[in-house]
Amino acid sequence: MANALDTEQIRRSALEHLWMHNRDWVQMAEDGGPLIIVDGEGIRVTDSDGQEWIDAHGGYASVNAGYGRTEIAEAMRDQMKALAYFPQGSTTEPLVNLVEKIAELAPGDLERSWPVTGGSEANETAIKIARAYQKRVGQPGRYKIISRRGSYHGALGAVMWTGGNSGREDYEPAFPGMVYAPQPNSYRCELGGETPSECAVRCAQAIEDLILFHGPSTVCAVIAEPIASTPIIPGDEYWPMLRQICDKYGVVLIADEVINGFGRTGKMFAMEHFGVTPDILTMAKGITSSYLPLANTIVTPQISDAFAGSDNIFRQALTFGGHPVTAAAALANIEILESEGMVENSEKTGAYFLEQLKSLQDDHEMIGDVRGIGLLVGMEFVKDRETKASFPAEVQLGDKLTEAFREERLILMGGNGRTVGMGPPLCMTPADVDEVVGRLDRAIGNVEKTLSNS
Amino acid sequence: MVATFNSDTLREKSLQYLWMHNRDWTQMAEDGEPSIIVGGEGVRVTDGDGRSWIDVNGGYNSVNVGYGRDEIADAAYEQMMKLSYFPNGTTTVPMVELAEKIAEIAPGSLNRVFPVSGGSEANETALKIARAYHKRRGDNGRYKVISRRGSYHGTTAGVLWLGGSSAAPRDDFEPMYPGMVHAPQPNPYHCELGGETPSECATRCAMAIEELIQFNGPETVAAVIAEPISTPMGAVVPGDEYWPLLREICDHHGVLLIADEVINGFGRTGEMFAVEHWDVVPDIMTIAKGIISSYLPLAATVVKDEVADAFAGKENYFRHVLTFSGHPVSAAAALKNIEIIQNENMVENSRDVGAYFKEQLEGLAGDHPLIGDVRGRGLLMGVELVSDRETRAPVAEDVHIADKLNERFKKYGLILRMSGNIINIGPPICITEGEVDEIIHALDVSLWEVEGEMGIAQMA
Repeated sequence: MANALDTEQIRRSALEHLWMHNRDWVQMAEDGGPLIIVDGEGIRVTDSDGQEWIDAHGGYASVNAGYGRTEIAEAMRDQMKALAYFPQGSTTEPLVNLVEKIAELAPGDLERSWPVTGGSEANETAIKIARAYQKRVGQPGRYKIISRRGSYHGALGAVMWTGGNSGREDYEPAFPGMVYAPQPNSYRCELGGETPSECAVRCAQAIEDLILFHGPSTVCAVIAEPIASTPIIPGDEYWPMLRQICDKYGVVLIADEVINGFGRTGKMFAMEHFGVTPDILTMAKGITSSYLPLANTIVTPQISDAFAGSDNIFRQALTFGGHPVTAAAALANIEILESEGMVENSEKTGAYFLEQLKSLQDDHEMIGDVRGIGLLVGMEFVKDRETKASFPAEVQLGDKLTEAFREERLILMGGNGRTVGMGPPLCMTPADVDEVVGRLDRAIGNVEKTLSNS
Repeated sequence: MVATFNSDTLREKSLQYLWMHNRDWTQMAEDGEPSIIVGGEGVRVTDGDGRSWIDVNGGYNSVNVGYGRDEIADAAYEQMMKLSYFPNGTTTVPMVELAEKIAEIAPGSLNRVFPVSGGSEANETALKIARAYHKRRGDNGRYKVISRRGSYHGTTAGVLWLGGSSAAPRDDFEPMYPGMVHAPQPNPYHCELGGETPSECATRCAMAIEELIQFNGPETVAAVIAEPISTPMGAVVPGDEYWPLLREICDHHGVLLIADEVINGFGRTGEMFAVEHWDVVPDIMTIAKGIISSYLPLAATVVKDEVADAFAGKENYFRHVLTFSGHPVSAAAALKNIEIIQNENMVENSRDVGAYFKEQLEGLAGDHPLIGDVRGRGLLMGVELVSDRETRAPVAEDVHIADKLNERFKKYGLILRMSGNIINIGPPICITEGEVDEIIHALDVSLWEVEGEMGIAQMA
């Protein structure tokens, strides 16, 4: 445990040497330096000053099994002592057991796994497989990738240009072949659909229109999260229609379950909500509950068969792809999720969480929408419920919310002040929900007070 | 351990469910592969059938401290028991300590660390920083990245089209990333620009980069990326003029210099970082593999203060997030790994045993007409095979030299695979001279057998 003196020193060193996410060191120094987290248990973490926090954010919606699961640490140590590493030219026991387990859990006939170390790499791999697949089946002109505005698929070369809202101009010029479709967000349907169904049908239809506009012979794949993570739950028509459209035009359908997978939405994989099997499915985060870096791209035999035979191989290597120690941790993690009924808990406790958040709307006019499925839940803040207008940027609602959450010892970011998404550990109890909702109630109330005073 | 499973069952399952690197499952099934590795100690690993191998590849030139270092497992375990993870928006004690340690050992003012999980991610991050850096300075048109043919910088889309030596594998993934410019590799054994000495080749190849900058227009060029000692073509060591010239050219044209030390770093070439051979400080340096000897996934992009400063202030921050960036368990393992490298003088061992290894390989060249060139530094070496030492022509394709030798390496217990007509060597840097002798003996016999089969063996 770091004592108070250490903490200051560590903070200074962090400001001097570490490049952290989405904030800079000057700003952080003004705000008193980064929070140093030293311990965790269940949905709670402790900082270096001994303060306890509830992690409503769930470490980027990734710590599915919760903090402090010593079984995973033991599985890691045992494997590392037996064999710390070996590359994927030969293989290792825990990795083989893991890919067998994943094939068993994954929807439909998804069977063959290409293991990597993070969600971005998994989606990059999916896109590479899709492009190479089209070439293997005699469709070399198909390279375009359709994604939906408002989605997120990662931070690397190809995937950083899929989905998105704004903020990529730093890295222009863009990767070629990016085509953008509308997000089936029934709270704000871009295409004017007035019900979730209507929005879903119009947004799926928009993808067919884009395929036809570009020419099917140029379109390689569609990539989408089953439930985009603010969250956006599409009408039931959406995924079956996407499947049908992709089949009709020979387009590969990629489901990004990096956040959705491993119980996050109340099913092991979110595609189960819609009864659809994609051609490629990517997973990360919940696969190890972030205890170690691991991710995976799994494909159907129809896809992988195109790469059989030594002339057809898929040419890709990643040093840490298929790491045996991370595989052992993943197996221990999945065992916890299954044996402790965490997927079911996600469904039930998530439903309760949603209900409680909806009741907050009665007291807080600014909560325009509450939505969720399983333990992927979110709120959307509006200035006016009728027009659904967001708060203007100068209000700096995101910063105000972040500060209010911090005062309540909630690990949660206000972001841009429009939507606040939560993805707590799946071991959350109804009592934990009550505590989180109580803190949110106070935090939002405090923000409302500062808004009415200004 | 070994007794708890059946190798054949695991092999069948892996052929059904696993997609492995650069080979396919039908081919592997025919060859009775994959082998299942179950244990390791030092430079040796053991497979599921109880056979011991010497890992001449060292993973992917990545298991620097060697296999079986329980201290790293204990350090990772202790950290995971305390805190298994927290994202890099707040931070954790081991991650801060690791960033501080890296800043301490990295050359010059390379002081700011963006942690990631692999070499590809580290190079992607470097390119994103480079492109954004120029925009922060109002130099909006700079986006092109110059790399050298024959180099390798990773497999995700932003770095996939850097370097490379043939259309494959990238033709599978076209169209390519915009802004990729390719320069010659300063390989003195095959100087593309006709340089007849390492110096001449180095100078011409560096000048070629300046010409490319001028041809493209300096105001369009963001960065030059290069490995100090390039691995794919067999540890190509440039003449001593190369890196100082690159530094000068980049400074002159306002181009950022990125050194990819993913393989070179952490003692691989006999210095902690390979740019130290030439006393050059790049603007950005990427590290992976040896930072943790592959015990867990970890890599980092290390940036000079002068470059990082452009991102200070709320309006200027760098927009880039990766869930596993700055993972505390990986950081704890890396700290222990670096401690082992330093306490056990493995950098010096890499230099000394590397020199011995190279000497032995040069000795083999006396007996084996196939060996055209032996090159490298520290424990990163390459042996290039030729059909004719005069013309330096490669062995004819129909000889299938790689397959023939791979088969022998397997027979003699070496984990080693040919890369075309090149033998790439990068064992754990804890290797001893005695272990080098074992490898040399196996190489000697392997070459002898293959040369015999080809009818070119020299009479003893």
